[in-house]
Amino acid sequence: MLIELKNIHKTYDNGQPLHVLKGIDLQIEKGEFVSIMGASGSGKSTLLNILGILDNYDEGEYHLAGKLIKNLSEREGATYRNQMIGFVFQSFNLIGFKTAVENVELPLFYQGVNRHRRQEAAMAYLEKMGLTDWAGHYPNEMSGGQKQRVAIARALITHPEIILADEPTGALDSKTSVEVMELLTRLNREDGVTIIVVTHESGVANCADKIVHIKDGLIERVEDNRQHHSSMFGTTTIMK
Amino acid sequence: MRDLLHEIWESLRRNKVRTSLTGLAVAWGIFMLIVLLGAGNGLLNAFMNDSDGFAANTMMVGGGMTSKPYGGYKQGRRIKIVDSDMDMLRREPFSDKVDLISSSLSRSGYTMTYGRRYFNNVVLNGTYPGDAEMNRVKMEAGRFINEKDITDKRKVIIITHMHAKNFLTGSTDYEQLLGQKVKVGNLAFTIVGVRHGDENRDDRDLYVPYTTIKSIFGLGDEVDDITFSFHGLTTEAESDAFENQVRATFNTAHRAAPDDSRAVWIWNRFSQNLQMEKGTGILMKALWIIGLFTLVSGIVGVSNIMLITVKERTHEFGIRKALGARPGSILKLIVTESVLITAFFGYIGMLLGMIACQILDATVGQSKMEIFGQSVKMLDNPTVGLSTAIGATVVLIVAGTIAGIFPARQAAKVKPIEALRAE
Repeated sequence: MLIELKNIHKTYDNGQPLHVLKGIDLQIEKGEFVSIMGASGSGKSTLLNILGILDNYDEGEYHLAGKLIKNLSEREGATYRNQMIGFVFQSFNLIGFKTAVENVELPLFYQGVNRHRRQEAAMAYLEKMGLTDWAGHYPNEMSGGQKQRVAIARALITHPEIILADEPTGALDSKTSVEVMELLTRLNREDGVTIIVVTHESGVANCADKIVHIKDGLIERVEDNRQHHSSMFGTTTIMK
Repeated sequence: MRDLLHEIWESLRRNKVRTSLTGLAVAWGIFMLIVLLGAGNGLLNAFMNDSDGFAANTMMVGGGMTSKPYGGYKQGRRIKIVDSDMDMLRREPFSDKVDLISSSLSRSGYTMTYGRRYFNNVVLNGTYPGDAEMNRVKMEAGRFINEKDITDKRKVIIITHMHAKNFLTGSTDYEQLLGQKVKVGNLAFTIVGVRHGDENRDDRDLYVPYTTIKSIFGLGDEVDDITFSFHGLTTEAESDAFENQVRATFNTAHRAAPDDSRAVWIWNRFSQNLQMEKGTGILMKALWIIGLFTLVSGIVGVSNIMLITVKERTHEFGIRKALGARPGSILKLIVTESVLITAFFGYIGMLLGMIACQILDATVGQSKMEIFGQSVKMLDNPTVGLSTAIGATVVLIVAGTIAGIFPARQAAKVKPIEALRAE
């Protein structure tokens, strides 16, 4: 079992306590393509933060690749994120004053890999994304789809256990959204990368083999979606 | 390291105006520090130059008048220093401390003639070879008085370069004058040396052997004063104790109260020098403190700017942390940036400060003031040395670190969750 969540609770306390996650149990195997769906306020973002070791939880246990992720120091958290998790964000989160290749290199920089090997690896992933010609360009010179592919290359470069994608198509038009989801699907099918996509778009969620529906801080149901029939707007489009 | 520098360069490049304004504050601080220290040095150098004419570890003893009755004598008795007083300094308890002993005897109001050129109102100064070292006589040509001159009572003379230049109608080839004869009053002396004069009052003094002047003028055993050098003293207290010992010995020999401070007068150049050093140290410390306070405003500026930078880059630091940046690496990034800004602009300030010191040297440093008939430089070599430059570099690095540490801690505290916030 790659990911094992047992009775995860999380309460935010901003003046008034807000019980966001009320006991989440979830198992994800290596090589799965899972989407987490829910309306805003359902707790899906909080769950993503916990899965990505960006935030702590109050109760329960979270095992990632056999390691208990609980009460980590900042340093340990940084190391685990760096080695086990690749992030793909809605707003790409590329660093503006770095070129595409420099952005892709960054996780390896924090591993202390030398410049030459870093660059080599980054170029290999950019090639895989079909962006070799764009390696020297800055993010503001690229289209949204290109930026998201750079971000995916950056997420993949450390060979993480999981790719966590937070609304990966949220800032893209429908055509590019399809391309990006196809790319993620291919990575899952061909390279066996474990992917977790958090979204509120059913079309995006439909790309996954398993859909976890979250409502009011609890898992409502886990839907087997290997037939990809989940989208109410058809199976091949992403409704914008 | 290269990546670190690249990142810092990019961040500075994007905020040129802000960076240069901050830099200006730091540069100004260091500029003021260097100029202050340079001017301070110049002031001290000019002051020291004035007292440069003698070795620091000497004492001069001259005759005085008793201020209290002692041994059957009334007060107000004149004490004359005599030749045999020098012997006291060669015996216990002084023999292990005293090095050179010299006495001087002078006769003034003569005219020195060389061919058709002459100098009025010169002073014949009878002295010993040791005087050359104790009074820091700088020879331009020839030699000073030697032992043989003393024993043979030779009629040799040391003139100053100002006389020599005049005799040679402007030429500085002083060697030609050696062996030539000059007349002082109606006596002929052979020039054996040309010394460097201060082109002022000092130039009236012509040096001749002590024994020569004594025999020529048929003088008794009285001397004007005795100068001696010594070693082995370090503190002012030791120096004062030694001075009192000398005083007591001289007073006793001349039957005056041992603690009578007026019977003989003593000029303790060693104590004077120690006090001067102390004063110098205090002045330099004060200048450093003023300079550093000026620099503080620059440091606050850098710190302020770094805080704004950190605020602006919160999202970026969040992304970095999400990708695996440890708090330490972000801390390092900001502190290094701060140190680099401070050091870079600080060095510009230091360079400009040094240029300003050179300009000061070329202008004010060359002008002289008339004080009590003596021309005195206001500033002499108002520049800072290597040690000050190194000190200022250390100050800059420390300042940069201090300026950076607070903003850097803010940056390191950024939560990785910031990465998920939309820009």
